[in-house]
Amino acid sequence: MSSDDEGAPKAPAAKPAMSRFLRTAGSDSDSSDEEKSDSEEESEVSQEEGQAEQRRSRFLRTDIDDDASDEDVTRVVKSARDKRLEEMEACGKTMDNALKINDWVAISNEFDRLVRMVQRQQNVSEPVPPFYIRQLVNLESALNTAVAKEKEAKKKMNASNARALNGMRQKVKKVTKEFEADIKRFQTDPDAFEREYTAVVAPEAAPAPRPRARRAAESEEEGAEDDAFTTVGKGGKAMAFTPESIFKNLQLVQEARGKKNTDRQEQIRVLEKLLAVAVTSYQRIRVLLTLISARFDYNSSVATHVPIDLWVNAQSEVDQLIGIIMREPQYVIQEITEDYDELAERTPETEKDGIVRIRGSVISFVDRLDDEFTKSLQNIDPHGTEYVDRLKDEKGLYCTICRSQALYEKTNSDDPLGRVIMRRLEHIYSKPDAVVHALESTVAASDIKPSIVLDVEGQTSSLIHSLSIHLYKSSNSFLRTRAMLCHIYHYALHNDFHTARDMLLMSHLQESIYSADVATQILYNRTVVQLGLSAFRCGLIKEAQATLQDICATQRVKELLAQGVHQQRFQVLSPEQEKAERQRQLPFHMHINTELLEAAFLVSSMLVEIPLLASIDSEDQKRKAISKPFRRLLDFADRQIFTGPPESTRDHIMQASKALQNGEWEKCRDLIQSIKIWSLMPECNSVKEMLAKRIQEDGLRTYLFTYAPHYTTLSLSLLSRTFSLPLRTVTSIVSKMIWSEELSASLDQAAGVVVFHRIELSRTQQLALSLADKVNNMVEQNEKTLDNKLGPAATWNDRGDGAKGAKGGEQAAERRRGGERRGGGARGGGRGRGARFAQGLGNQMTGAQRNR
Amino acid sequence: MAEYDLTRTIIPHCDRHLVFPLLTHIVENELFPAEQVQKAQYELAKETNMVDYAVSLFEQLYPDEAVPDEFAGKRENALSTNERLQQDAQAVLDVITNPEVAQSLRQDKNQNLQYLKEHYNVTLEQINALYNFGQFQYSYGNYSGAADYLYHFRVLSTDPDLTMSAHWGKLASDILTGKWDVALEELNTLREAIDSRSPSVPQFASAPSSSITDPALTQLHSRTWLLHWSLFVYFNHPEGRTLLLETFLSPTYLNTIQTSCPWILRYLAAAAVLSRKSSTGALSSRVRHSIREIVKVIQMEEYQYQDPTTNFLKELYVEFDFEAAQKELGRAEHVVGNDFFLTEFRDDFMDNARYLISEAYCRIHQRIDIADLSERLNLSKEDGEKWIVNLIRETRMGADAKIDLEKNVIEIHRPALPVYQSIIEKTRGLAFRTQALGAAMTRAQQAPPATEVLPAEVEAR
Repeated sequence: MSSDDEGAPKAPAAKPAMSRFLRTAGSDSDSSDEEKSDSEEESEVSQEEGQAEQRRSRFLRTDIDDDASDEDVTRVVKSARDKRLEEMEACGKTMDNALKINDWVAISNEFDRLVRMVQRQQNVSEPVPPFYIRQLVNLESALNTAVAKEKEAKKKMNASNARALNGMRQKVKKVTKEFEADIKRFQTDPDAFEREYTAVVAPEAAPAPRPRARRAAESEEEGAEDDAFTTVGKGGKAMAFTPESIFKNLQLVQEARGKKNTDRQEQIRVLEKLLAVAVTSYQRIRVLLTLISARFDYNSSVATHVPIDLWVNAQSEVDQLIGIIMREPQYVIQEITEDYDELAERTPETEKDGIVRIRGSVISFVDRLDDEFTKSLQNIDPHGTEYVDRLKDEKGLYCTICRSQALYEKTNSDDPLGRVIMRRLEHIYSKPDAVVHALESTVAASDIKPSIVLDVEGQTSSLIHSLSIHLYKSSNSFLRTRAMLCHIYHYALHNDFHTARDMLLMSHLQESIYSADVATQILYNRTVVQLGLSAFRCGLIKEAQATLQDICATQRVKELLAQGVHQQRFQVLSPEQEKAERQRQLPFHMHINTELLEAAFLVSSMLVEIPLLASIDSEDQKRKAISKPFRRLLDFADRQIFTGPPESTRDHIMQASKALQNGEWEKCRDLIQSIKIWSLMPECNSVKEMLAKRIQEDGLRTYLFTYAPHYTTLSLSLLSRTFSLPLRTVTSIVSKMIWSEELSASLDQAAGVVVFHRIELSRTQQLALSLADKVNNMVEQNEKTLDNKLGPAATWNDRGDGAKGAKGGEQAAERRRGGERRGGGARGGGRGRGARFAQGLGNQMTGAQRNR
Repeated sequence: MAEYDLTRTIIPHCDRHLVFPLLTHIVENELFPAEQVQKAQYELAKETNMVDYAVSLFEQLYPDEAVPDEFAGKRENALSTNERLQQDAQAVLDVITNPEVAQSLRQDKNQNLQYLKEHYNVTLEQINALYNFGQFQYSYGNYSGAADYLYHFRVLSTDPDLTMSAHWGKLASDILTGKWDVALEELNTLREAIDSRSPSVPQFASAPSSSITDPALTQLHSRTWLLHWSLFVYFNHPEGRTLLLETFLSPTYLNTIQTSCPWILRYLAAAAVLSRKSSTGALSSRVRHSIREIVKVIQMEEYQYQDPTTNFLKELYVEFDFEAAQKELGRAEHVVGNDFFLTEFRDDFMDNARYLISEAYCRIHQRIDIADLSERLNLSKEDGEKWIVNLIRETRMGADAKIDLEKNVIEIHRPALPVYQSIIEKTRGLAFRTQALGAAMTRAQQAPPATEVLPAEVEAR
């Protein structure tokens, strides 16, 4: 609050004004239109009233003097301190009123407010106004009389009032103790005390009465001399916004910010005008900072998004802001700065180290811009043209993000840089190459470029890679996780399944993702789904099935991918939950098509499950299903009495599965290939071909499993003809089945046939076998439980690495090795993917051993 | 066949001195232009203290140029350093070799130090002199001397970093002197040292990324190095191949291979094929098991690494495409023949690979045309017949297979496994595993896990 250049000489002039002001404290212009009638005390305050009246009339005159057109915007704007004082006085007034009618509850409330205000006053190290002290003294005496009265006439007061009275006594006692010295001084000589206060306040208060509406600048000088209230000149609006007055106006706007009845639009208009007149960089930066926040303030509710035109303006202003700071490195925007005078112009020369530090935060603007963009996309109907138009703004936004990245690279601030890069990465990770190139080309055309850009013919994956690498080095684990997921997603999108899988496994995210925040979990789900789809596109059916299983089996795909709110069947979401859910939704253009996802999942399930179903012969084993949802659908389809021609994707797949079961692979292929949704896959044709081939092969396997009991021999060439596969492939498939003991048969090379050896098991034998299996399972379960219980550190199964005890019995050694491997997965933790693989491998190996 | 040559991939993971034999081998098999290799040899030698060798290489490489002067200076320098270091080290060595001292040295290193200090005034710095001298000797090629000094140093030193470094040095020296038994021992101790804690990387092994001080990463580095170095030992020691399988298939090392050096799979595959025959009897089933495991890994890492050796196993055990397997085998023969480590075992490899093919073939088929099989094995008809007869005699299927000379076919009748037997197979391990569970539980109750109870049980069975 230290005064600027013109403040000092005016101080004496302000002094009498101030004191007069204070004397009239009891009632002033706003308090006079208070609703409560104060007829009783009229006599007491009449003197003051009179003064107020006088003042008011002068006040009114100024209003009339003013041009009538903008009467509505004429407001008395006082300095912060004056306003506080006024508030306090209003408070005191209400208290007085309440005192009259003996309403102690109201008094108590008001008093609390007052105390809080005084505390605030003290916090900004201003002296306690004498008014307060006076109020305290008055209260004390009033209390004493009230208590005395109370004793005399007991029935008069109701319970809550009495309680309030007692409470007040306590409070007042406490507060008077605090201000004991002041009170004593006041009591001895009230006038002297008051004078003392004004003496302290006056020099500082000098600029305080000055600001007056928005047009204060011109008439300021006369105004200050003239009784603290400015007579507003007839100067036009254009005159009102001059470079000199910018800071004052800014302050006005800032003070009005967040008030209930502030006209936001008007404020934005004011600021825009201010920006137009701003001359120096400092002014521009300051105005821009305020203007951008004002634009974001436009909407008070969280749910709706900022209007698009405002958003576009804000975006260009952020660009402008970054441009200024980049051009003139002697201006720096920081979130935390030393206190500086809001009203003074600052230049690099006036600062100690030649750098002007301004309070503000560019990163929060960028964050907000991005969030608002997403929010608007969430709210716009994705099927309209508006959505597409809105999407076009992403270019500009992306450019802004890149510019801010350049800014933070220059200033070497790690934390915001990480955040900004994360934003950038999130804009491009899920986009096809062409879109990324388009986005990047705007960045390349911009004058401010970050260090990492994509060349015209560069690979998008290299861009993603370098962005992610940067984030991996950041200390923020949240950013690291998200960057990792985006990176994996990108690899998966580009059909680099192996790299993506290795990275996902090496990151060990699947162990800790349950404790992550919801947004990251969604990203994780998206990544996993994309990984599954990429496996599907690469023809790795088993992997695709296993990867998609987790997500697709839940029946809540949409919810897990944040692509729609799930209708809960048993519980109803509270409005808050639903709101939160809606805020998490991804904008439409980032969606993964759920129908395509379902098709991929069901088709891969079909290819895995149907041969398995065919290979099972006993009822008991039937319960083991790899893909439960598929099995359920298939059972349902089986129960249908009449099946019409397929309509939905599901119908197609179900009928295809049946055809496959019956060995009609051509029908199956046609059905699968006629699913329309495949056209959404970029490599539609190659995927269809791949599927056709897989259907042929799995059709052959199913056929063999299903019909083996009915043949003693089967010619290979016939098989090759039936399934139009090359003889070599048929031989290879059959050999594989023989080797892995899925099929008890052997090849007769000379005759070119498969010879089946089938043994019919008796009931007892079957039972014995399944019992053995069950016991095996139990032991395995026990081992797993113990593993869990002892934790990953304790490797109870690990017995000296197996190398030393090699001389032990062969069987034992072998088994021990199996066990070791099982424990080994945990022990090898920290070395990533290998460990996990070995773990899986170990389990399979032990299984294989047992079968032998 | 140069595209399958792994020398260039392996060199970054070897010590400077270990590379010499590799390069010499390359010169011999003439895969690369001789001049290039010589140049490489020279560049390699230049940085060591083997001045004379470097000079001779230089002369070979540039016959018409004068030998640069720097060599003379370097030589002198090396000699004087040698002198100085030797004197330093000699003092300690005198004390240690004193039989009286040797007797009073105990297991506890700290106590030893105390003892030496009290009685002979040997300080830690003096002991470090042993290390320095050993290292210096190594750098000019006196490997056996280096091994000696480093051994003594390791016995006395307590500094973990230097001890580790000494381990590596000793191993390299043993490898270069060709003492495979000692090297094997050294290898095992080194492996234990690496596995037991997250060690610091020896200075000379520090990869460019040594700035990252993640212990897991350094351990991975050490393991990668160990894998490469151990190749020298395992392919020269008589028992090496089986031990190689043991080591490389242990989960930690399998992980290392998968993450950082998939090309080691070639040696793993080769070793698995090689140890098929050498370890009939007790080990055979485990080896078959190892092949299965390796095939799985090969399949998994196919996108990262493949060469004829791994492809052979893949075609044979994943695709069961015998023709393709045979083709791959033909190419693998060259690869194995040109490989520094495998070249000795080429015939063995081929032999065993044939066995594997015919074994798989016989298991799947019921009636086999002998001519056809011989062709599959790259053998003439006569040889093929002999081979098959031997095969039938040696393997377990002796009772089931019969040769019908008239039709020139083999008939194999494999009676199905009786149900009771398969049940026995399935349940055989259960009792033992349950016992292990129980033991683990009791161990878990006694707070610090007791010493290894279980191996004893294993032996008992």
